[in-house]
Amino acid sequence: MQRISRREFVKRTAFAGAMLTSIPALIEACTSGSNTTSKTTKLTIAAVQGAEDGPLKKVAPMYQSQTGITMEVVEFPYDQLFEKLVTTFQANGSSYDLCMMDDPWMPKFGTMGALQPLDSNFGFTRDSDIPSIVYDVGTWPPPHGPVPPSEQGKSKHLYGITIVGNVEMFMYRKDLASTAPASWNDVLANAQKFNKSNFYGYVIRGKATNPASSDSLPILWSFGGDIFDSSWKVVLDSTASIDAITFLTQTLKKYAEPGAENTDAADRDRLIAIGQAFQSTTWPAEVTGVVEAAGVSQVAGKMAYIPIPQGPGGKGLGMMGNWLLGIPKGSQNGQAAADFIKWLIKTENMKTYVQNGGIPTRTSLLNDPTLGQSNPYFPALAQSLAAQPNWRPRTDQWNAVETIYGTAVNQAVAGLKTPKDALTAAAEQIRTAMKQAGYPS
Amino acid sequence: MKGARAGRRRLSRDERLAYMLLLPALGAVFVIVTIPFVLVIIQSISAEDGTLVGFRNYSRALANPLLYDAIRATGVYSLIVLPTEILLGLTFALLVHRTVRPQGLRAAIYVLAILPLVVPPVAIGVVGRLVYAPSYGVLNVILERIGFVHHEVNWLGDPTLAMLAVASVDIWQWTPFVYLVLFSGLQTVPRESVEAAQIDGADWWAQFRYIDLFYLRPLFLLIVFFRLADVLRVFDHVFILTGGGPGTTTQLLSLYMYRVEFKYFDSGQAAALAVLVLVSFSILYRLISRALPLERT
Repeated sequence: MQRISRREFVKRTAFAGAMLTSIPALIEACTSGSNTTSKTTKLTIAAVQGAEDGPLKKVAPMYQSQTGITMEVVEFPYDQLFEKLVTTFQANGSSYDLCMMDDPWMPKFGTMGALQPLDSNFGFTRDSDIPSIVYDVGTWPPPHGPVPPSEQGKSKHLYGITIVGNVEMFMYRKDLASTAPASWNDVLANAQKFNKSNFYGYVIRGKATNPASSDSLPILWSFGGDIFDSSWKVVLDSTASIDAITFLTQTLKKYAEPGAENTDAADRDRLIAIGQAFQSTTWPAEVTGVVEAAGVSQVAGKMAYIPIPQGPGGKGLGMMGNWLLGIPKGSQNGQAAADFIKWLIKTENMKTYVQNGGIPTRTSLLNDPTLGQSNPYFPALAQSLAAQPNWRPRTDQWNAVETIYGTAVNQAVAGLKTPKDALTAAAEQIRTAMKQAGYPS
Repeated sequence: MKGARAGRRRLSRDERLAYMLLLPALGAVFVIVTIPFVLVIIQSISAEDGTLVGFRNYSRALANPLLYDAIRATGVYSLIVLPTEILLGLTFALLVHRTVRPQGLRAAIYVLAILPLVVPPVAIGVVGRLVYAPSYGVLNVILERIGFVHHEVNWLGDPTLAMLAVASVDIWQWTPFVYLVLFSGLQTVPRESVEAAQIDGADWWAQFRYIDLFYLRPLFLLIVFFRLADVLRVFDHVFILTGGGPGTTTQLLSLYMYRVEFKYFDSGQAAALAVLVLVSFSILYRLISRALPLERT
């Protein structure tokens, strides 16, 4: 037996160790491909915790039993999901095969190039039973409206498929008012008429940042106001915008609940559900989760749901809040993930999904009278989707803009600033932020 | 050369052992503190694409009016919570030290004082919201039932009351910490000194002023250090109770920095803010430690 020196022994041991430790990585590198399905045994979905992912959790085991692929739904609260996804995408992590995304997040993820295109990679095509706006919201760069400067000239692809067809709507007590409010003036008149001690004519969801922003944007748009014009110029301090926020935070606020500046969706639902308020804007999940929930709500069956009422210009614009499913670029199971999305949006599977509390996007299901009985807002949702609701500005800076805008509206609701002062200051901050991000201001 | 060699004497076996024992701790500090700190400094002088931009992130951070709102809010918050917690904690500590004799009762108070410290801040925020929320808050119901108020008090919507509401939650959670520290300090006061003072006719104030306070002074410094650091990190209950509102009235530095990083995704500015806060508070700590010397003199 040949004797070797100590140095040679160390060298050989190190080499053998390196070879042994790299074998799993080599095997992984040889077997993995971004779109293989043959080896996929598990799909991990990053989902938002709450009413939005509840139905998904219920139907995922069905897919598991049909295909043998283990479905794991990892839940995060709303804010944390966004942060988690951004940091995962920045690291090109492969932790998630599918991710739920609120539609305002699409610009951020689209700009980052964080998702796999569903059309060119996996053969997704538009279905005539699903409104085109639903596909548009999952497309990047946006097919209409202003496009961020950095994204101009890029080819458009579908990156997300809506699985929660949220559009902001309006609700009122139909047992008290016989006719639906057609305009915001009607809303005001009803608020005056029904407002009394311990019963509020209108509920403002005015908590700072996202709640105040979501609650006020449909009113802002319906009054002809906006945050940006078609060339990204900030118009939040325009007369129409100031009039809209003045209407909400001063005129309508006279008939609103006390503490409106601290009211979030749960507080609003509570006021409506215990019969202490007449009307407000609402999201589908609030309707099914609280307002129409038997055993929880005292007003189940007493509420009517309509699209957002019209502003002075005769237009009422709802706001999209779709939740989409996308496939992160880092996922190693792209094809299997795409197969799951295709399975989920098939009519028969989406019907099961709706029966488990899901909010569909298929017009045939929204107009299905059987499903409509347990989901009284479906006709209003179908109308809202057909009327081409607005989406929040398609900019990767939206989170910053929303924080500034939602804080300004909150200041106006709280009476800390006049609507004009609050919006003027917010417009200036947004201009600065957008300029720093390379947008024309 | 020979002199230099003689000056650099060989380490003794014990010294080498001491350095070896220190090495893991120093390594941990290097990995956990030094490397992230260097990375933050690099991030604070870099653009998003990694190019160096000098002090541009610092100038942007300092030019943002929201920073000064956040500093003001943090200052007001600190001025409310620190003196209140110290005064209440000291009062409880003196009260228990001088009036409660049974050891069992002292132990029970000790356990009760620990409870708020181990409750997660998120849970405390949720409970705080149930207390102060408009229309269903417990506090308004109680105040109305006993006839103290006739209209609902807007605890979380009025700027002054909102700040008091978020501060009250902090005071509830952290006064027991001050109590525990000061109570343990009072246990170190020599009994002979107190008895001698009593024989000399010292009243309770004189005992406190000339004996107890002497032993507690370094602990005040400890409390101020810990609590100031905590105030900088306050996030959960403020986020749940007011979300920084109304407006930006309760948007403390931690919440503001969170928004810059995770809402605006402006990591350069967030890193610059982190460095600025670190430097400012290092200076502040130095000033406090000079004002409140650690050594008993």
